[in-house]
Amino acid sequence: MRTQSPAAMPATPPPAGPDDGMTAVAAVNLVKVYGSGDTAVRALDGVTVGFARAQFTAIMGPSGSGKSTLMHCLAGLDTATSGRALLGGTDLTALGDKVLTKVRRERIGFVFQSYNLLPQLTAEQNITLPLDLAGKRAEHGLLAHLADVLGITGRLAHRPSELSGGQQQRVAVARALVSRPEVVFADEPTGNLDSRSGAEVLSFLRNSVRELGQTIVMVTHDPTAAAYADRVVLLADGAVAGDLDRPGHAEIADALRDLGAHR
Amino acid sequence: MTVLQTQLTGVARRPARLLLTGLAMLVASFVVFATVLAQQIAERTMLDGLSGTPAAADLVVGGENTGNPARLTPDDLAKLKAVPGVAEAVGRVDTTGQAGGQYLNLTADPGSGPLAITHVTQGRFPAAPGEIAVSPRTADRMGLPVGTAVTLFTSWDDEGEPIKPVKFTVTGLVDARDDYGFTGYAPESTVAALVPDGLLSRAELRFRPGADAAAVRSAVDRIVQSGPAPGEGFERPRVRTGAEVRTAEANEAASGLDALFAVVAMFVAIAVVAAGLVATSTFRIVFAQRMRQLALLRAVGAGRGSISRALAAEGALTGLVAGLAGVLGALAVGHALPPILRGFDLSVASPGWPVLPAIGVLLLSVTITVLAVLAPAFSAARVAPLEALRAASTTGGRRDIGRLRWVFGLLLALGAAGSAGYVITNLPGRDERDYSVEPMLFMVVVSGALAFFALMALGPVLVRPVLAGVGWPLRRLGAIGRLAVGGVGGAPRRAAAVSVVVALGVTLIAGLVVTGASVRVLADRELASTVPADYEVTANGDDPLPAAVYDQAKASTDLAHVTPYRRLEDVLIGGSETKLAVTDLVMRQLPTLDKIDVSAGSLADLGPGKVAISGFTTDLTGLKVGDTTTLKAGDRTARVQVVATLPDGAPLHSYLVLDPSDLTRLGAPAGYSGLLADAAKTGEAGRTAGQKALQQLTQGRAGLGVAVLADERDQLNLVLDGVLAVALGLIGLTVLIAVVGVGTTTALSVVERVRESGLLRAVGLSRGGLRAMLTMESSLYGVIGATIGLLLGVPYAWLSIKALGVNAPLTLPAWQLIAVFVALVAFTALAGVLPARKASRVSPVAALATDG
Repeated sequence: MRTQSPAAMPATPPPAGPDDGMTAVAAVNLVKVYGSGDTAVRALDGVTVGFARAQFTAIMGPSGSGKSTLMHCLAGLDTATSGRALLGGTDLTALGDKVLTKVRRERIGFVFQSYNLLPQLTAEQNITLPLDLAGKRAEHGLLAHLADVLGITGRLAHRPSELSGGQQQRVAVARALVSRPEVVFADEPTGNLDSRSGAEVLSFLRNSVRELGQTIVMVTHDPTAAAYADRVVLLADGAVAGDLDRPGHAEIADALRDLGAHR
Repeated sequence: MTVLQTQLTGVARRPARLLLTGLAMLVASFVVFATVLAQQIAERTMLDGLSGTPAAADLVVGGENTGNPARLTPDDLAKLKAVPGVAEAVGRVDTTGQAGGQYLNLTADPGSGPLAITHVTQGRFPAAPGEIAVSPRTADRMGLPVGTAVTLFTSWDDEGEPIKPVKFTVTGLVDARDDYGFTGYAPESTVAALVPDGLLSRAELRFRPGADAAAVRSAVDRIVQSGPAPGEGFERPRVRTGAEVRTAEANEAASGLDALFAVVAMFVAIAVVAAGLVATSTFRIVFAQRMRQLALLRAVGAGRGSISRALAAEGALTGLVAGLAGVLGALAVGHALPPILRGFDLSVASPGWPVLPAIGVLLLSVTITVLAVLAPAFSAARVAPLEALRAASTTGGRRDIGRLRWVFGLLLALGAAGSAGYVITNLPGRDERDYSVEPMLFMVVVSGALAFFALMALGPVLVRPVLAGVGWPLRRLGAIGRLAVGGVGGAPRRAAAVSVVVALGVTLIAGLVVTGASVRVLADRELASTVPADYEVTANGDDPLPAAVYDQAKASTDLAHVTPYRRLEDVLIGGSETKLAVTDLVMRQLPTLDKIDVSAGSLADLGPGKVAISGFTTDLTGLKVGDTTTLKAGDRTARVQVVATLPDGAPLHSYLVLDPSDLTRLGAPAGYSGLLADAAKTGEAGRTAGQKALQQLTQGRAGLGVAVLADERDQLNLVLDGVLAVALGLIGLTVLIAVVGVGTTTALSVVERVRESGLLRAVGLSRGGLRAMLTMESSLYGVIGATIGLLLGVPYAWLSIKALGVNAPLTLPAWQLIAVFVALVAFTALAGVLPARKASRVSPVAALATDG
């Protein structure tokens, strides 16, 4: 169940092979259909894509392109209609809720657009929540290191309502990283932030890739945010529509415009 | 589209939400209307079954229960039978006789047909003279199975000696309305033959189908009026319809019923108030969840007035729907239950269709709900239009309370403390003279009510400290426990609102449990001296109890703790002029006597030269423990020391208990005056076996009476148990509403916290974990409420017991209170199970997408 034999792989190999040790997450012919009959919507229409280890990848695309759905399926938050969602060789689509919960808790980190901190917990309690749920403790010094780098050391005892948006998102980032997950999924992490706070959060995410070897997959529609990434995967109408390596801001904006024109 | 229309469209889109909001009101309406129906059922059942007159009796000729009796001759009965249109006429008469030292009541009955009040379960109904039937319990208790021959003494001479023996054979066992254990039945002719002149007390007539009731009645009237004038002390029989008589009989029974339902109404009223509190809290939550929508309405130009009016209208609609559902539910249950019960051979009448009370309940429901919605509606309408533009939907609400509320709450608490202090400083000591109970009890109630209102006002600030205490073990449990405690503590106003209702229920239950336990101890103490054993055999004649009776009783395997005693009347104690009875009962030998309470000293110190005296004796002589006094009987005296004083009477209705050697010194004869004994085995069978054993011992010995004291004790315990059970059931209504409130609150907070649930699932909380967390939260409402309830209920129960001035002990029935606590926590946890299940089924994506 946990490992896939190469024989089971599809005929067309993905851009980065799922089992080459370099790929952290991969989608193989992933299809997601919402609804049924006439009202059925194919949010993902056979997406095959891989995300390399220790890389910062951005998924971009217009609204309704399926980028959030792709992320949800890869993160084990949602079930796919067909195809496979591989996390380090584990096919998430084959897992039951219990195992999936454990996978999310121990192998995946999340950063959301609206922070999603629990109001009744302090910043520190919010950060250690996934570890607490797993009954584990943070790696020695990691919490202090993260708090220091993120500049929230003095705010750890505060509740979310006493923090600014940027501080809350930095707490959320710390929460995503503290369990040293195989991959961190970020869903529009700067959507609710002013440009300065957004830049701080993005720089930190990029640094964590460089310095800690963290794998990050970020969904965004903001070319400025995407410019922080090592690679940009473009989605349109539920399928991969482009793949840019270390693109600049202008290159991304052009690609997006082309996507819009094709539609 | 008006503001009201937008809100009503929202309601129409989710009708289940409306019902959830009004759930507490629904339950309250159900309870209120069910009470109305229960009263109807009870009254009709009384009319049907508890009236002594059979339903088939169309006309009753005879006296009323009150006033002078009327008498009918058998000749009259024959004439009544001959009236055209009369299908059957039954004469009623009853008499009491004595069989083997015990009384037997003999009642006339046809034994079959519509006018019979008995039906045969074994053997046959007596037909010939010299035959009787008895009730099953009578057969057991008096040893009269089918086929037994029994001699009944039907009269007594001037000395009280039974005379006029008549021999009877028991031909059958019959079931009747009541079975007291000393009832027999026989045809009218048999019973009438035993009473002077064979006069009947009444006749019951059944008409032929289609008979002219008026014509029959006038014919009957003529017969009654033409009879000779009644003798001294008697009245001419009255003619009444069966319905009239049954109503009169039922009303007599129902006067007690009305008083009972007045008490029921009081508890139902408390439950309705609780439902109102729950409704207020529920509306607050619902409106808080709609804050953004309301702010949007304000932003696009809706006035505060129109918003609060719309919300109040929605409340009224909720009340109407909830009330209607409650009334219909009660009607359904009320009409479904009696036929089912009748299937189990319980004669229970069906209720009617009371339209006016139903409308009244609807109005009550609407009124209470509107009252409940007012405050939340006004505060919701004050929402700033800017709220609509805020991104985060924080609906947890404020954590603190306003300064005004602080002051108000503290004033209430002060009032509660003050009135409680007044009661405490004016409590009666052991001396209860010049003490009036009512104003003190009233003050206790006032203090309790003030304390409760203070709790309502200060609740939100009390939740956190209480939570810090009770949440401690949960927080140790791990992340889920911490989350649950945090979830409840995060919305203290909400937690307070629902916990206060739980606290109300627990306060009442704890009070009841503590008071009940104290009263039981009190009753046990008093019973210990009046009913020290199951049986008492007394020698009523001049001769003492034969020694053989004592020896055989001691040898009997059906009896235990056989204790003989002597008794001496006419003893002078100290310098007093009053002659009092004393006994040498050995207190140690009967287990029941351990329960006797002493006001001072110790019963263990009893021995030669040592005595215990009753409360009356203490008052009369002024003797105290340690004092020495002289007992005088005739010209003999004994010098004794008081080692114990009793609060009430001494055992066996005596005034002083002393050592047998001292009683001998006072000149008491050696023979025993009587003996006490317990049944060797427990239960009804053991009781009957013991009684039979004693009857065998005393049979054929003149002047020996057997009394089953245990029946008296059972009756008292039964009454006490009954009262406690009924009171518990009534308070249960409030608890039910509190639990409904917890369920509703949990269900609604689950709705608004769907994002939080989604996040927790996303970061790795399992479905089971989420369920556990939410169930734990809802049980925490129970924990907080039950803790506050116990903290209030127990002291107030103690205060009321003390204020009653009955010298009852302060008990702390720890196990019962723990059971109450655990039960409440379990109920409130149960209330959270469904919402928790629902929340755990939501997929994390859907949860995160909501309102994102």
